[in-house]
Amino acid sequence: MKTIPPICAEPETGPKYWRSLDHLAETPEFRQWVEREFPSGASECTDPVSRRNFVKIMSASFLLAGLGTTGCRRPVEHIYPFAKMPDNYVHGVPQFFATAMTTRRKAVPLVVKSNEGRPTKIEGNPDLTGSNGGTDHLAQASILRLYDPDRAMRCTRDGAGANKQAALDYLSGLSATLGDGSGLAFLLEQNDSPSRARLQQAIAAKFPAARWHVFEPIDLDLGRAAASLAYSSPVEPFYKLDQAQVTVCLDCDFIGSEENAYANIRDFAKGRELQSKDDSLSRLYAVESLFTLTGLNADHRLRVPPSMVMAVLARLAVNLLSSSDIDSKLNELAAPAQAHEPWITACVKDLKANAGKSLVLAGYRLPLAAHLLVIAINEALGAIGHTVEFHPTAAAPPAVNRVFYSGPKAGYHPTAASNEGTVAELAAALNAGQVKTLVILGGNPVYNAPVDLNWPQAQAKAGTVVRLGYYQDETSWSEAAHPGSQWDLPMAHYLESWGDARTADGTVVPIQPLIEPLFGGITELEVLALIGGLTPSSPYEIVRETFRALGGDSENNWRKFLHDGFLAASAASAVTVQHDPAELKRAIGELKAAPAPSKEALDVVFYRDSKMDDGRNNNNGWLQELPDPITKLTWDNAVLISAATARELGVFTDRNVQNQKFFNFQVEVTLNGRTISGPVWIQPGMADHTVGLALGYGREKTGRVGTGAGFDAYKLRSSENMYYASGASVKDTGNNSYELATTQSHWSMEGRPVVRETSLEQYRKNPKFAQTMKPEDPPVTAPLYPNPFDAAKTHGMHQWGMSIDLNRCVGCSACMIACQSENNIPIVGKEMVGKSREMHWIRLDRYYASPAGTTDEKRMEDPQAVVQPMLCQHCESAPCESVCPVNATSHDDEGLNVMTYNRCVGTRYCSNNCPYKVRRFNFFDYNRHPLDHKHLYRSPLVSAHEGEWELLRWLQNPDKGDLPEGEWQLAKLIKNPDVTVRMRGVMEKCTFCLQRIEQAKIAAKVKARDSDHIRLSEKEGTVPKTACQQACPAGAIVFGDTSDPESSVSKAKEQERTYKVLEFLLTKPRLTYLARVRNPYPEMPDYKEHSLPYTTDEFNNGAFNEGVGAEEPAEKGAP
Amino acid sequence: MSDIFPKWTNQLPRQIIIGALLAGTAVTAGVTYYFTPKYTAVGYEPIQPVPFPHSVHVKQLGLDCRYCHNAVEKSWYSNIPAASVCLNCHNQVLKDDPRLAVVRDSAASGRPVEWVQIHKMPDYVYFNHSVHVNRGVSCVECHGQINDMQEVYRAKPLSMSYCLDCHRQPATRLRPLDKITDLDWKPTDDARELAAKQLETGTKIIHDWNVQSLQNCSTCHR
Repeated sequence: MKTIPPICAEPETGPKYWRSLDHLAETPEFRQWVEREFPSGASECTDPVSRRNFVKIMSASFLLAGLGTTGCRRPVEHIYPFAKMPDNYVHGVPQFFATAMTTRRKAVPLVVKSNEGRPTKIEGNPDLTGSNGGTDHLAQASILRLYDPDRAMRCTRDGAGANKQAALDYLSGLSATLGDGSGLAFLLEQNDSPSRARLQQAIAAKFPAARWHVFEPIDLDLGRAAASLAYSSPVEPFYKLDQAQVTVCLDCDFIGSEENAYANIRDFAKGRELQSKDDSLSRLYAVESLFTLTGLNADHRLRVPPSMVMAVLARLAVNLLSSSDIDSKLNELAAPAQAHEPWITACVKDLKANAGKSLVLAGYRLPLAAHLLVIAINEALGAIGHTVEFHPTAAAPPAVNRVFYSGPKAGYHPTAASNEGTVAELAAALNAGQVKTLVILGGNPVYNAPVDLNWPQAQAKAGTVVRLGYYQDETSWSEAAHPGSQWDLPMAHYLESWGDARTADGTVVPIQPLIEPLFGGITELEVLALIGGLTPSSPYEIVRETFRALGGDSENNWRKFLHDGFLAASAASAVTVQHDPAELKRAIGELKAAPAPSKEALDVVFYRDSKMDDGRNNNNGWLQELPDPITKLTWDNAVLISAATARELGVFTDRNVQNQKFFNFQVEVTLNGRTISGPVWIQPGMADHTVGLALGYGREKTGRVGTGAGFDAYKLRSSENMYYASGASVKDTGNNSYELATTQSHWSMEGRPVVRETSLEQYRKNPKFAQTMKPEDPPVTAPLYPNPFDAAKTHGMHQWGMSIDLNRCVGCSACMIACQSENNIPIVGKEMVGKSREMHWIRLDRYYASPAGTTDEKRMEDPQAVVQPMLCQHCESAPCESVCPVNATSHDDEGLNVMTYNRCVGTRYCSNNCPYKVRRFNFFDYNRHPLDHKHLYRSPLVSAHEGEWELLRWLQNPDKGDLPEGEWQLAKLIKNPDVTVRMRGVMEKCTFCLQRIEQAKIAAKVKARDSDHIRLSEKEGTVPKTACQQACPAGAIVFGDTSDPESSVSKAKEQERTYKVLEFLLTKPRLTYLARVRNPYPEMPDYKEHSLPYTTDEFNNGAFNEGVGAEEPAEKGAP
Repeated sequence: MSDIFPKWTNQLPRQIIIGALLAGTAVTAGVTYYFTPKYTAVGYEPIQPVPFPHSVHVKQLGLDCRYCHNAVEKSWYSNIPAASVCLNCHNQVLKDDPRLAVVRDSAASGRPVEWVQIHKMPDYVYFNHSVHVNRGVSCVECHGQINDMQEVYRAKPLSMSYCLDCHRQPATRLRPLDKITDLDWKPTDDARELAAKQLETGTKIIHDWNVQSLQNCSTCHR
């Protein structure tokens, strides 16, 4: 089972890419781990069912199989046609509907595919202005939520099941008892829906004394509050990142965790596009304490603790604002950033040099003052109207996040305040007994309200609670903390609902249902209309009514609105605004300079998890299993901490490797007397003396998927410390048995130039740098074994290929979930991920790199990182094919490396021989069993299950597995009917979305009929997009016909940055990458380190000794 | 002391070897024939809930296949008609016939008629009707002379080798598009010239329509 990796010239100097701490540490365990083809457990049978037992069972199975052959005719199956033929429906032809998913205030416009009435795949709506059809991983994964067997399925009253009609009757009867609305309080989530706003107004008119409160545990809307104050009118900022030449982000992960990330990525990627060496490239600066995707993509990254972020911003302001705007308080705030003066000076110089094309962004964690400051800076830079514009909006609620650290609690309400209160005010009203009827629409305040509000107790003081929720969760009725009376209503999924929403630029989009509510779900609009006693109360009528005011009375306009998925020309237009610095001074005056963190008093950053969000996606298996883009952790959060701090605290570990599993220190984090415990994760590039805690895990009452995942960081989070806190301490608990499942250390690339990059300056000198960066020359010029399919490839009608631009790819992971959804890829559970058995066909490899010649300690301080999507390369000379004993994997005429599942016998030779490690093996029937040890490992022969002998159940229905019947019915609904659902013992991998290619070819032939025009062409729009390509908001993935010289993939492959991964193996991949180009600023203090990006450096220092500009790769120490 | 092994046991090894060979041959031959779709599937003629005679509707009345199976040119799947489609005629013709009671019940109640599936592909085979009937492959190639069948039975094995026979030599089966649903069509009535004439027709179609002989695994398996 051992493979000896070919000796690869390890550069003496230059950066080393390393995948994990163990890799860096080069521990014997890690060496052993790398040299094994599969990690332990991934390839051996060390499971409870021993080999001997297995043989026994198998021989028994064969006996039974022998008995069974007498009846080897297929079982009788029935066809059920319609009784009455529906109009406009052809069985087997998918239908597409435009709809939208609300995020927080905004929405992602979507087009959703429906097969036989069940939604199966979500895509972005490409028809909106500026849209490229890209989405994000949260939108892609939202379809799984629809079919979640753990979602709330019935109305309950005080925990007991109730009739839906009874619930609706109760709601409509409520309005008569409410009087003027005093004692009625609503707790809502943020939403910009025109219909909801209309209903709210109508209800407010009917019940003027009703209280409205909005709560988002992670509020991404502070920019709106700040803009409304700074301009004394309700406006919200709209960033045009594609116009920005220089962007400075202050703890602002606009790529990963801000609102409208998909649109941000799309616009950012436009600035990173390089066609030739003469193109300009935008530059990104990041100042941050965590290592985020934005930091990963930044050309310069300043790693500072959270307290310093504000100081750096203040110092930027001092350098950029006119002297009249600078007061002593600002200078005082800026003082701690003295140490970073050279960095800030250079950054300011770059911003000023690009005035009008530069942009400064502040993240949601920063307080109101920072957002006001950023507006002032953007004003000073002349950015308004160019890189940022202001759109009119509904009045913003008061800003909650006003203080950086524990400081003045509340007391001043911004002038632009609407009538919406905060959750803290609602808690106060509840405690004062002022709320008789509390209506909670969405959200989960019992889980995620600030801990000092004591929300569960406050909620219990309401007379009656009406709660609309997607799950039976913490906020649902419970015996322990029950209020007078509580109704829990199941919320409808957005694919089951009528509604409307607005996109980032204010365009009105419809939300239309593709399926009847599966479990009788109710929408927010319906509840509001019933409580308000409004007519009509059907959500369709409500939305239709709202649309009359927006788009006119005509039925055609309405139909067009639903068909197109947006209302044309409804985007907000920029307004001219007059900046008023008074609010800024006031807010700055409120801020307290933060103390610098130390070993005893650590800073804490509470952050929005890239997958769980605020906890709402907790029961989504696709997202739980999606590796975090930076840490590559699945199924857990962790206490992120820098290596240096971990050493100081005595919790540093090279991973405690036992039985090939990674175990981590369990630590206690104490903040203001509250304590939580979680496993430590050493995060390279994190600020020292800072603890990063992801929110959204550690749920107490959730579905089966989310139960047991991570720890709950909300328990430390109070109103004063919503995002940052100081004075935390970390203590080792002595328990180091917690296992984290990560994909990080898997598939080490052994230091070869897998990701190739250079700086813009070097790129202009040597545009072909990537092609000359070869680790070694091939030992022979032709493959050892001629590929028998070489001949076949010459007469294929198309030749498929793909190109991935690493300069545009930001690592957002939308492609991974899109692929999972399109290709029926199962999740495997934490235990299996721990054994490297995850099934993702496309993964994002993340490599860290550090300057040459630094010590191990130094290397982990401030590394650069790169990401690379890795999927089947569709090698023309594929190593997997020649070793398959049953020809299950082979080439087709069009250059695809295809996998025939029904031929596969599961030898796994192909995976052994794949240099890219992109093949995935079904160790179990993940589709048919609950993903726990007990069920996955069970043999049909050995045990009874829920009163039914497994073998008997298996004989009755071999398809179903031991999923409960209802769950099995649900699980089937989400599957793409065009892709085989693979069973145990079958190898699988990326197919370049073969099903889409074949469907496109079939469509062309059906259209051609008796003509010969059957070739797909990009010009005619008949070439399909792969799922990853379609979902990619950055447009980094290009797929198409390489035999068509006009196709965009041919053009991409002609670019000078093109290279192939591991090309010296002569596998001739059909997938090529475009190398990455960083754009460091020459005036920067660290430019000397960055000027020769590490890869170029590497070649100039030995491996590539002819230097930059050489046409031919030089002779070097080949094996 | 007598021999433990009597003399006849000397023959035993030879007999065993020959016997084993014979048995092996028999088993192999048996499996080769009896386990193939030719034996297990061809001729499968289940009893349907409605005794629908294709021969009457197609042969005698001249209904086109696509009147009932109207999705065949658009979808991967050729639909079984809805009960309402049957009643288009049968609310006039044989409107009280007891054989049609199931169909009338279905149309009235909305519950589907439970037809028994005869032609079934395994789940890992992605067969598309529309691309075949739009590119010169007649219904008859896979379904046999349905127009002559009183009760439908499976006429062809529909095994992988059966598919490949045609995919390897499409010229032997292709026909003009207006003859797709004409199940009795032959390129010529002269039995001796039939094969040559078919080959000629097919070759011309292959050339004019750019028909490909698709033998990639990916053509059917995804």
